[in-house]
Amino acid sequence: MNCQESPELLALYCDGELGALRAASVERHLHACTACATRHDAFLGLRADIRENVVYHTAPPGLRRRVSSPEDHVLRRSAILAGAAMGCAATVLALVLASVTIDYRETSSVRHQAVARHVDATLADRLVAVASEDRHTVKPWLTARLDFAPPVKDLAGEGFALVGARVDALDGRDVAALVYRYRDHRIGVFVRPRDGRDTEPELLAERGFNVVQVRRGRMEWWVVSDLNAPQLRDFAAALARDG
Amino acid sequence: MSGPSPSSRFAEIVLPHLDAGYNFARWLTRSRPDAEDVVQEACARALRYIAGFHGESGRAWFLAIVRNAAYDWLERNRSGELSDEASIEDVADESATPEAIVIRRAEGRMLAQAIAALPVGYREVLILRELEELSYKEIARVADIPVGTVMSRLARARALLMRSPYLHPIDERVAGGGT
Repeated sequence: MNCQESPELLALYCDGELGALRAASVERHLHACTACATRHDAFLGLRADIRENVVYHTAPPGLRRRVSSPEDHVLRRSAILAGAAMGCAATVLALVLASVTIDYRETSSVRHQAVARHVDATLADRLVAVASEDRHTVKPWLTARLDFAPPVKDLAGEGFALVGARVDALDGRDVAALVYRYRDHRIGVFVRPRDGRDTEPELLAERGFNVVQVRRGRMEWWVVSDLNAPQLRDFAAALARDG
Repeated sequence: MSGPSPSSRFAEIVLPHLDAGYNFARWLTRSRPDAEDVVQEACARALRYIAGFHGESGRAWFLAIVRNAAYDWLERNRSGELSDEASIEDVADESATPEAIVIRRAEGRMLAQAIAALPVGYREVLILRELEELSYKEIARVADIPVGTVMSRLARARALLMRSPYLHPIDERVAGGGT
C-alpha cells in the first residue's frame, strides 16, 4: 500500500468499508509505517472520544407517548400540538428530573458496579463460565447456582446471539450474568430479583459504555455494552418482554 | 385481504427507531423543542407514506424522513444555515437534560460543541456514521448524496474536528507524519 492513498484507504478501513483482502493489506502496512499508524491511532481516538463523550439524545418520554398512538395525536394540526407538546414536555422533564435525583445515588452505584464487573470479566477473559447458545443449557446451569430462576431469552432471531453465562455479584448479592453478542459487540446482562414497579428501559452511560436498566415482573436487568444506545435499548426491551 | 393497519406498521417499523430519529433531529436542529417538532412531523409523514415502505432498513428509511423534515424546518426558520457557513457562536447553549447530567463530561461538552459547530452537511454524515453507525451506503440513502460525497464529507468533517482546539495535541502529531 502506498502512503499517498493511505488517508482515504485508512478511513475506509476504520469505517469497516473494505473487503477482507484490502483490509489485510492495510493492516500489514500499519505494522510497517509509523506515520500511518499514528494517523490510525488519531482516527480511533477521535471515534472513541465521540462515542464515549458525546451525548446520545434519546427521545423524551412525552414525545414518545405522543407519537405512540398516531391516530389520536400526530395527524392533528401540528401548530396546536407544538404548544401543548412543549408544556407537556416541560412537566415530564421536571418529574423525570425529580425522580432521577432521588434514585441517582443508588442507581449510579449499581450502574458503576455493573460496568466494572463487565469490564473486569472482559479483561480477565472470563465472561462466561458456561458457554452455550442454548438457553435450555444456560438457564438450568444458573438456576442450580442461584436462589432464583433468571429468565434467559433466545434473541438470535433479532441478531443477538447468546454466548453463555456466569454467576457474578452486584450490591453484595449473587446475580446471573448473561453474555450476548451482536456483530462485534459483547453485551453483558445482569439479572436479579427486584421488588417495585415495572419500568421502561432507561438509558444511562458510564465510562464510555451504554447501560440500560429495566424492571419487569419482579426482575431487574442491567445491560452493559459498547453497542449503540438505541439498539441496546431495543435489546433490553426484548429481554424484559413477556413470553 | 387487507394487510396490517398503517398504525400497526408504524409501531413496528418506525417506533423502534424513535431514539435514532430524535438524536439525529437534535443534532440537525441543535435544539430540544425544535427536534421534538421535527420528529413529530417526521412521524406524521412516515405514517402517511408507510404503505410505500417495503423491506429495506426501517432505520435508514425513517432517518431519511427525519432529515427531510429537519431540512424543511431549517429552510423555514434558519435558512442561513443551509447555505453552508454555520457560525460557531450560533450554537445553542443547551440546558442539560437528565440523561445529559449523568453522562456529560467536561471534554464531552467541548467535543459536542465542536460537532454542533460543523456546517450541517458535514455534521449529518458524521453523526450518522459515528453515533448511528450506518454504513456509507445507508448514509448516502439517508442524506440523498452519492457514496463518494459521503466519503469526502466524512473526511472533511473529521479533519475539521481534529483541528478543533479540543484535539490540537493529536493534530500536531499527525501533521508531523506522512512519508
